[in-house]
Amino acid sequence: MNFLLPNEPGSAARRFFLSSAIWLLVGVIFGLIGAIEMVDPDLFPAHEHLTFGRMRPLHINILVFGFLMTAFFGGFLHVIPAVCRTKLISERLANFAVWFYNAIVVAALATLPFGLTQGREYAELIWGIDIAILAAVAVLIFLVFGTIARRTESLLYVSAWYIGGGLIWTFFVFAVGNVVWQAPHGSWMGIHDQILLWFYGHNVVGLVVTPQAIGLAYYIIPRATRTPIYSHSLSLIGFWMLIVMYTHTGTHHLLQAPVPQWLKVLSIVNSISLIVPVFAFLTNVWLPLKDRFSRVFRDVGAKMVFTGTIWYFIVCLQGPYHSLPSVQRVTHFTQWVIAHSHIALLGFGGFIAMGATYYILPIILKRDLYSRLLADFQYWLMLIGTLGIFLSLTFAGLIQGEAWLMGEVVYRVLPELKIYFVVRGIAGVMVVTGAVLFVINVLLTILRKTPPLPVEGSEAETEVAA
Amino acid sequence: MIHMNARIVGIGTAAILVLIFFAVVVTPRYTNPMADQPSMNHRARTAIEESGRDLYISLGCQYCHSQYIRRIDWDTGAERIAQAGDYVGEYAPQLGSSRNGPDLSQQGGEHTDDWHAAHFYNPRYTRPESFMPPFSYLTGTELAGITAYLQSLGGHMADQRVARQWQWRGQATAAYEAGADANIEWLHRNVPEGWLRVPNPYPITEASFLRGEVIYQRHCLGCHGPVGDGQGPAVRFIYPPPLNFTTLNRHGIEGGATGGMLYYQIMNGITGTAMPYFKRELESEKIWDVSNYVAKQFIGIVDANTEPRGIDAAFEPVDSAPVQVRGN
Repeated sequence: MNFLLPNEPGSAARRFFLSSAIWLLVGVIFGLIGAIEMVDPDLFPAHEHLTFGRMRPLHINILVFGFLMTAFFGGFLHVIPAVCRTKLISERLANFAVWFYNAIVVAALATLPFGLTQGREYAELIWGIDIAILAAVAVLIFLVFGTIARRTESLLYVSAWYIGGGLIWTFFVFAVGNVVWQAPHGSWMGIHDQILLWFYGHNVVGLVVTPQAIGLAYYIIPRATRTPIYSHSLSLIGFWMLIVMYTHTGTHHLLQAPVPQWLKVLSIVNSISLIVPVFAFLTNVWLPLKDRFSRVFRDVGAKMVFTGTIWYFIVCLQGPYHSLPSVQRVTHFTQWVIAHSHIALLGFGGFIAMGATYYILPIILKRDLYSRLLADFQYWLMLIGTLGIFLSLTFAGLIQGEAWLMGEVVYRVLPELKIYFVVRGIAGVMVVTGAVLFVINVLLTILRKTPPLPVEGSEAETEVAA
Repeated sequence: MIHMNARIVGIGTAAILVLIFFAVVVTPRYTNPMADQPSMNHRARTAIEESGRDLYISLGCQYCHSQYIRRIDWDTGAERIAQAGDYVGEYAPQLGSSRNGPDLSQQGGEHTDDWHAAHFYNPRYTRPESFMPPFSYLTGTELAGITAYLQSLGGHMADQRVARQWQWRGQATAAYEAGADANIEWLHRNVPEGWLRVPNPYPITEASFLRGEVIYQRHCLGCHGPVGDGQGPAVRFIYPPPLNFTTLNRHGIEGGATGGMLYYQIMNGITGTAMPYFKRELESEKIWDVSNYVAKQFIGIVDANTEPRGIDAAFEPVDSAPVQVRGN
């Protein structure tokens, strides 16, 4: 019982972080296999379970629902009690969530390679797994709001808005996006389904990953740099604009498809408006650092989280830009979009997830990271790797898009892409290597038996809100 | 200063989210009757086609193949821009978000079943530059299902194209089975008269020959083979088999031209056989270049730059005496 569901504070967060690191490694390996297949499709023996069409959804689902979500869960199981100045409502239930949620990711691993899919991008997981994810999210909602209800700190810090709100949005978006009442297809019929699917698909980034990542960044950057955020009003603007704007944007994935024109216009207008909540958040965490920027680099976790916010800046300027119809004439259907999703989920979400792991794990364990050097090395591998994937695929996408627009057929452009896919594969190797270092570092930090550090942790909690 | 609490965060934002969901997802569903009305081109699928669709979904084909043609498209299927009514009655329409291969929404009738068999076994057999995964592990039933699904894509227009493939296939097969001479005679008969009198208007230069070679390697080699003997890797899936260029020497038409004939057949394909049309992917000069390459390298009848030549194109070398090229 004490091994399965320990009551020790921080045990669930610790286990979520470890699962997250392992799922990162598993997920990027599938990504690398897919990347290699695009360079040399005959390298691996022709095998159903290894085929690109199976690797691609596996790669995405393991990384979004395995790596990112588990890291965020681990992060907020520590952050929510910290900002509420209380204990988690039930450590045992949180530990149950660890096992339950990991079983879900294993189930994804055991279904997607075998072609058990609902055939909807980002919503591939079959009905039973969808329901299990909803149940797991419900448990986490209970843990978060139960803990918030017991808070001794009267001011509810902005991290808690994003994390708590984000979980509720996750529940709703996931349930309707997967059409869970329509088993076993999990889909509407006809073109309507695509409008629903992209409402969901875009909000997997906007309302599932983004709020958790922002919530953690709002905690980690001010705390690590001992600098309060810039403005409470900006937090409010950023938070409310996110829920109002992000939710409208899904149809910008369908600008060239036969869906109602008014919906396309609405999605473009809101995509552009997204710049407001993005800059509200970035101003809030960046501006106070203007005279003390070097403090960011003291902690490798904070450095990664800060890098995640830079990726957020890039990805959220690029996103509104390529939701414009004139830009999409070139970029739609091309590798440009794949480049964009890599900096959103690996650059922004991934760097904050890894940074949160490195920042929070030593606080929970009350001892240093196993190796700061290893973590720094991983940081550069991941950074250059992500940049390599982003740039190579962006170039490939521009070549495709411009060629198609000028009347070139898809087949004729393929030889032009090869070198970019090679570069992407090399960048992928760097990311996989970084993931290996991450697993080693996290695992050894947890397993290592060293005496705890003297302070850091419970009573040293700083007032982060202005 | 506004104080946030759990109720505002949880219930307040959820209320906004639900409202917006109704605005941008539910409203369009119930205010867009066009999307519930089958388009003129729409037809229901048969059981075997549905089984093929299940396989298409299960294999994840949508991650590289879209299923809607846009106003700005030129590639396969570009004759028909997608309509909302094309997807009526489909669960999880496979619109897709990425094109590493051609759009498939009008794929039906583009190719024959035997072309698909070779292409599925290893896509490089018919498309040497493709990076589509090989699907050699599909069983006969699975292959039949997914091929039937592909041939159904494009609704009534696809049905007409498929019917046309089968109609020409009957003639092409009969001609092939009547023997080599009868086959060539049938092929010549089906080239419009005017083309038979047009020699290749462009001289073979070293540069144009090398270009023709590259085009041959990227488009033709899978079926016609590296040496033009019709023994490319796709040959064991294809019937009637690809033409062997190397024995055509004796089939020159008196007073006729090889260049124009080759040009026409490359441009237009030979519907009913695995020979596709190339007019979408090869522009005029590329077809003339590869025609010259095939004529010189494999057939041995070269009529490049012979009379009637009309007005010389501005780029042509003034002294167009045959240039020594590789392989001679």
